[in-house]
Order: sequence, then C-alpha cells, then structure tokens
Amino acid sequence: MFLASTSFWLDQMVNGLTIGSMYALIALGYTMVYGVLKMINFAHGEVFMLGSYAGFGILVAFGGESIAGPMVAVAIAVAMAGAALASASTSVVLERIAYRPLRNAPRLAPLITAIGASIFLQFLVLDVTSAKASFYPRIFPGGSIVIGAFRITYLQLFLIGCSVAMMLFLSAIIQRTAVGRSIRAVAENRTAAALMGIDVDRAIVTTFVLGAAMAGVAGVLWGLFFLQIRGSMGFLPGIKAFTAAVLGGIGSIPGAMVGGYFLGLAETVGREALSTIPGLNFPNEWRDVIAFSLLVFVLLFRPTGIFGELVSRRA
Amino acid sequence: MRNPGPRRWRWMLLVALTAVLTAAMVACGGDDEEGGSSAAGFKTVTIQAGQPIKIGISSVISGDLESLGVPIAQAAELAGKDVQIQGFSIAFVRKDDGCSSEGGVNAATQLIQEGVVAVVGPICSSSVVAAQPEYEKAGITHISPSATAVVVTAPARGTPFATTLRIPANDGLQGIAQAKFAYEKLGARKAYIVHDTDVYGTGLADSFAKEFQRLGGTIVGREGYEKRTTDFSSVVTKIQQQNPDLVYHSGFYAEATPFIQQLRRVLPNVKFLSGDGVRDDEFLRGAGKDAEGAYLSQPSPPAPGPEFDTFKKKFQEAYGEDPSDSPFTAEAYDAATVIVRALQEVAQKDGNNLRIDLRKLNEAMRKQKFAGASGPVEFGENGDNIGKASIEISFYVVRNGKFEPVQ
Repeated sequence: MFLASTSFWLDQMVNGLTIGSMYALIALGYTMVYGVLKMINFAHGEVFMLGSYAGFGILVAFGGESIAGPMVAVAIAVAMAGAALASASTSVVLERIAYRPLRNAPRLAPLITAIGASIFLQFLVLDVTSAKASFYPRIFPGGSIVIGAFRITYLQLFLIGCSVAMMLFLSAIIQRTAVGRSIRAVAENRTAAALMGIDVDRAIVTTFVLGAAMAGVAGVLWGLFFLQIRGSMGFLPGIKAFTAAVLGGIGSIPGAMVGGYFLGLAETVGREALSTIPGLNFPNEWRDVIAFSLLVFVLLFRPTGIFGELVSRRA
Repeated sequence: MRNPGPRRWRWMLLVALTAVLTAAMVACGGDDEEGGSSAAGFKTVTIQAGQPIKIGISSVISGDLESLGVPIAQAAELAGKDVQIQGFSIAFVRKDDGCSSEGGVNAATQLIQEGVVAVVGPICSSSVVAAQPEYEKAGITHISPSATAVVVTAPARGTPFATTLRIPANDGLQGIAQAKFAYEKLGARKAYIVHDTDVYGTGLADSFAKEFQRLGGTIVGREGYEKRTTDFSSVVTKIQQQNPDLVYHSGFYAEATPFIQQLRRVLPNVKFLSGDGVRDDEFLRGAGKDAEGAYLSQPSPPAPGPEFDTFKKKFQEAYGEDPSDSPFTAEAYDAATVIVRALQEVAQKDGNNLRIDLRKLNEAMRKQKFAGASGPVEFGENGDNIGKASIEISFYVVRNGKFEPVQ
C-alpha cells in the first residue's frame, strides 16, 4: 500500500478522461443506432478501425513524419474529415446490405449479421495488411501544460477538447435541425413517424452516418495518441464503448457521453481508489473486470442506465 | 416497443456476465490446468500408398503475432522438404492457434482429426499448456520450437506430459539471467514489472522477480495487461509514482510497442528490459526511436555454426529472407528435424502401406541427439532440451534501430 500524491490522482484523472473521450465518441454510434433500430451494431468497432486507417492514409499522403508547422493542423483536420467520410461510407454500405434487408426480421437476425460484418471487416483489414501494425506519424507537438500538481499534455487536451466539440456538434444536429427532429421522431415511434411523412430510411441512414463519423474521428484521435493501429484494434474499444452506452442508458445521447467518461474514470481512478482500501489490490489487469462488472451491476439494478428515463418513456 | 419489461435486458446481461468472467480469468492469471490424466493414448497409424505422411504445425498464421508465427511454420516445413521415407513424402498441415489457450486446443483437435503423426508447436506457452492434454490423449507427440514457460515441462498436475517436448531453454533460465543482468550489469535496484497475463508473461515475470529479490533488489510494483491492450497510460502514471530504475517487461512485441512509446513520453531515461517475445523486427519498426536503449534477452540464439549456416542458406533460397530476422526459426527447423529423423527410424513398410507406431515414434523422438541449427538437441525426462541447459542467455540492446549484442 502506498499513499499516492495529488499529482498521481490528477494524472490518473487525465488518463481516464482521455480514454473516456474516445469511449464516449464511439459509444454515440451504438446508442444512436440502438435508439432508432433497437439493435446493437457490433460492427461499429470496425467502423472505428477503418476510420483510423483512412486517417492514417491521409496523413501519409501529406508526408507522414515530415509534416511540420501549420501543415500539421491542416493535415490532422483533413485526416479527421476523411476518416469521418470513410467511416460513414462504410456504415452506409453496411446498413444497406447487412441491416436493411433484415429490418423486420426477428431482433436476433440483425445482431448476428452485425457480428458477421464485424468479423469480415476485421479479417479483411488483417489480410490486406498481412496483420502487421501501422504507425501514425508522430507529428503532434509534444509538451504539456502544468498548473501546480495538475499536468496535461497538449495531445491529451486536444483529444478531450475535440471529443467534447464533436459531441456538442452532434447534439446540436439532433436537437436543432430538421434531420435531427426526424431521427428523434423515428426513435420514438417508427410507424407514427412514417405516417407523419418522415422518410424513415433516410432518417436511419443519417443516424448511421452521424454515429460512424464520430467513430471515424475517434479513430484518428486514437491513432494520434496510441500511434499503433491494426486490423484488430476495433474490438476492445468497441465493446468498451458498448459498455459505456449501456452504462449511460442505451438510446440516450447524453447518456453515451457521460457513460464514456464514467467508464474511462472507473478503469483508472476508480480502480486505483479501490486499491487504496486496505487488503484490496487491483493492478492494471483488473481494469476490464471492473469495466464489465459495472456493466453487470447496471444491468441488474438499473437496466435503463444513468440517463435511462428517456428510454423507458420512449419504450 | 410496447413491452419494456426486464426481458430485453437479459441477453445483454448474459453478454456482460461472460465478459466479466473472461476478464476475471485473465486477471487472475490463467493456470487452469486440470488434474492428471492417465497414460498417453498411443496408437498405430497406417498411411495408404500414395498418401503423404502428415506432420502438423500449430502456430500463429494470422493476427497480431503473424510475423512471429509464419516464419516459424516456414522454417519447420523446410526440414521435410524433398524428404522421402520408404517412398512416402511428407506433407505439413498448418493450423492457426492464435497464441491463445482456446486456439491451442482447437488447432490440436483439428490436427488430430487430420491424422498427423506428430506436431511442431504450439509456439506460445499458453497454447501448449491448454493443448497438452489433447495431444496426450491422442498419443500425438508435439514439440514446441518456442514455448519457454517453465510450466510447459513442469505442469501443475505433477507428472510431465509424455507427448510434450521443446527445443528452447525454459524461462527459469531466462528469468534468472535477466535478473542477474539487471542487477549486476545495469546496476538496477528498484524494478517495476509489467507483464502479459498469459502463461509465458506471468511465468517469466515470476522467475525474474524471485531472482531479482534474492540478489537484493526490490520489486516496487507489478502490473499485468491483457493481449491487445493499447492504453498503458495509467500503468505509466503508476510507474512514475514509484520512480524505479528499471522497468521490466515480459510479453510480446504487439503490446510492448505501445507500452514503451507511452513510457518514454513520461520517463525518457528509465532502463527497459524485456525478453524473447519482444526481440522482433516489428518492435523496432513500430517503436522507432522509443525503442533505443531497450535491453532484450533471448535464450540460445542460433549459434553461428555450420548447421545454422546450412539452415540459413536453405531458408534464404526458399523464401528470400534472412531467418535471423525472426526469433525461433532455427528452433522450428530443429523441431521438425527431430520428427523427420524419428520417422526414418520407426516407419515400417506394411505391404504397399506405411505403418507408424506412435509410441515408438515418441520414444525415437525423445532419443534424438544431434547438433541442430539452434544448438545441441537432447531431451531430458520431462521433455526439456537438456542440450540447452548450459547455454547462455544472450542480451541485446537497441542501437540505431538494430539489435546489438551486449558483451
């Protein structure tokens, strides 16, 4: 047992918020699709992975490690846009060929095609890349901001800031635009929405596009931070984000965001805090246990999640 | 959706529970060895005229560790190329074990069904430990070119498996040598351990820790991680808090790469030591300048001798690559050679067919003694290669993007 300093806890908090931002961004895709279709799009982790690869390709085209000066900002912005586009296109194709034909099939059918699509995409990329990892160029400026015991690197700040901005942007679309209104209407009652003249197919495709774009951006952020990307990278963040979505209350957009950060913090700060209880010790290998235990507790005692009222009212 | 109720949460709960159990099993370090089984189920195999003799290969053929597993399979196949045994050719059957426990068992089941007479592999200790009982039941002798965990030849059930052999020295030796190297050569006194939670990573970390403490060093912390982990930031924060003078890692390059990158952002100068799972070109390519100064050990690297040169030449002719770029290729060649030599001794003509008594094959394999490409080959009672018992563990340091031997 060791008594950790304030800076230790603050560092762990920043670590938790960093990984939590990425969980939150990915979780949005799960929760939105669940909101309108009541299905879990298990291929979402692979949509994230493809976005990461698209961003990687763009950064390489910009010159990889040799990108410098203001071009760094341009390259990263283009990479994020390109990744969002690539992820969105993948998602549209998936929706068209794997989910739409099964829209009125039993609930289990689209779930199974989603898992199939996930495996297909993962192994396709593994095959194309000969299962070798690719490495993002290290172009993001190093250095950090230090305020007393609090310390955050520019990269972490950028990651968290970007995610929050993306989420606010998404909320604005959902809450304030006609497209957003049609998505909300379809989520509430598909039949009624159709009767009101809403193009249900279009609303559903838009949902997939928006969720995938978030995942694509998350893919670039992931690459910039962790540098290593590979075909199998989508799996774990995918199920973590799914967990985050359930924690927050699946179907609820603010829920996914809060769930993402909550999960990120639980894995880092929460795990360390549990370890300070005398007699308990949860080293790093327990982080997945803690994450998934949270999932079980939520499903047992509050299946609608933190922001669940919305879902239950909707259902 | 008119039926909210708890019903639709049930399958999610099921998924969640499965995930927790899996994660908990991993976290607890999977020593899920079941108790003893009886003697090996040796049979006699008859190979029809015109059919090849099948030898299995259980390796990583796809996925994150492909660049470790494929050259191993290629090297093994070289040993049976153009070999005729009483007019029968040899065919290798590759199965992917994914370096996992389940994968090891699946590959074993498939290979046994294919009718192989012996197997090269599995390559990872976790797969070996899981697959051992299957091979034992079927009476198929398997010989691992690369599983270094102590537990492989000293299983939890007590009696070693009759059908398990291996070529490399075990991690008992590697861990002890690493601890000595860290304490004496690097002058480390406070070490922080970060390890893969599989059989290999845990076992190697255990033997390092034991010896390091015996020498007088302190283990200031220990963290495990599961394969495919990318986020090591909270581990790094913890290491920083303890301020060790050495970070010891045992695991594979796929996770060592992001780990060392994140470590270097915060602790650019702390000494880093890892084992044979990381001594791979992929580590250099991925970690780039962050790999500089990292120390790596490897048991019994191919001794530059005539046997190794012959193997190297064959490998280059067949695949156009240098086998030294990938660890355990010479060991794989030797493993397959053990099988081929034993087959030559025990295979018997039966009319037009060929009969192979698997018990005799096992005995003949255990009796093989020769100078192999990876060094001497000679098996002890428990299946360890006692020819390797006295071999030094070599150490490398990364300098200018290359592994340089440490003198």
